[in-house]
Amino acid sequence: MRTSIIRDLVILLVVFGCIWGIISFFPVFPEKVELLSVEKEQELGGKYLEMLMKDPGFTVVESEEVRAAIEAIGLRLENALEDSEYEYNYVVVEDQMINAFTLPGANILVTTGLIGFAGSAEELAAVIAHEMAHVEKRHVVARLVKELGIAVLTSGDQFVVGEVTRIMASTGFDRGQEQDADAFACALLEDAQIEPRTLATFFRKLKEEQDNPLLEKFEIVSTHPNFTSRIRYVLEYVPDEDFEAVPLEMEWEDLQGEVKDQE
Amino acid sequence: MNYHPLPQPDEIGVREREDAMGAYFMMFATAALGLPLPILNLVAAIIYYFVNRSRGRFVQFHTLQSLYSQLPVTLLNLGLVVWIITNLVKEYTFTEVFWGYVVMVAVANLVYLIFSIVGAVQARKGYFYYFLFFGKVAYAQVYRVREEKDAGPRVNQPPKI
Repeated sequence: MRTSIIRDLVILLVVFGCIWGIISFFPVFPEKVELLSVEKEQELGGKYLEMLMKDPGFTVVESEEVRAAIEAIGLRLENALEDSEYEYNYVVVEDQMINAFTLPGANILVTTGLIGFAGSAEELAAVIAHEMAHVEKRHVVARLVKELGIAVLTSGDQFVVGEVTRIMASTGFDRGQEQDADAFACALLEDAQIEPRTLATFFRKLKEEQDNPLLEKFEIVSTHPNFTSRIRYVLEYVPDEDFEAVPLEMEWEDLQGEVKDQE
Repeated sequence: MNYHPLPQPDEIGVREREDAMGAYFMMFATAALGLPLPILNLVAAIIYYFVNRSRGRFVQFHTLQSLYSQLPVTLLNLGLVVWIITNLVKEYTFTEVFWGYVVMVAVANLVYLIFSIVGAVQARKGYFYYFLFFGKVAYAQVYRVREEKDAGPRVNQPPKI
């Protein structure tokens, strides 16, 4: 009798242990981005940025002029955002690559290469609006949750920071998310009284550079495919009849010179 | 190890059958009460056992089987409540291990529910119905002959020399 009881107990433990184990290690419920609150994401993003700043290979542009200009662009867009739960933070990084990417918690990183490439403050605003769209639509967290899982993402581990930065800086969002972000960016630019189709102008410039032998400099090109269709998609966006663009007041070429001096 | 003989359905009275059946159904009645704090179910099950244990071995077996089978389910449910509250208070994330636990607890509750219904129906008909593991434990506890307890009134013995 005792053996029989022990055997039954083992069967129960094994069956229920297997159910727990199988569901845990082979999840049938994909982790949802909603499981990571915006507050938690901001807290996490702050930690990530702090750790990234300590990385010797990562140099932040300290110029007050550059910082003020980027924040002015960001503020114009933020004021046009409705009911955003995020507090945006902008960082200009010394890097020849033409790139902009976002870390969790609405930390938008812009390279000096991008500022040097953009033809106007409005073009940079278009890129930042696109990044804001990824933040507001929670594409950033969704991608990281998909790639790393919530447990790893929230671990706050120093090595995870490197991996998060690599993912965000060098791999793209899927086509649907990019299109979604472009649509959001156009509407945001219009609300911020910036010509939405400036985004198409920027894409066209990038596309033209695709055949350039300096392609390896264009990180943003390799991670944002299908420029032709995206240019068309952005150009299809027609602002309201009463739309009137208000230029961003800054000396763009001076700013580019300042950035170049920093490099 | 000796066991008392099992009573057959025609030897078990209606009152005993209903009390035995009640052991299973009582769990469902307290389920709603115990949802926020599953330990309340267990308290009700223990009270029911002690109230009905004197009503014959048939009732005692079913009551004990119901109580024992409810123990792990209650602890699993309690673990889930604690886990959810901890995650919410400390803002931890609901990981895959958590969802695995949720599924396991759901399966355990479902299995417990099905077995309890079958157990109640069988008890009402005057039959024994043995749950995996818990049935054997309850049977051993209720029907095993304990010499000191089942040998009749205690008699004085001379010292062992």
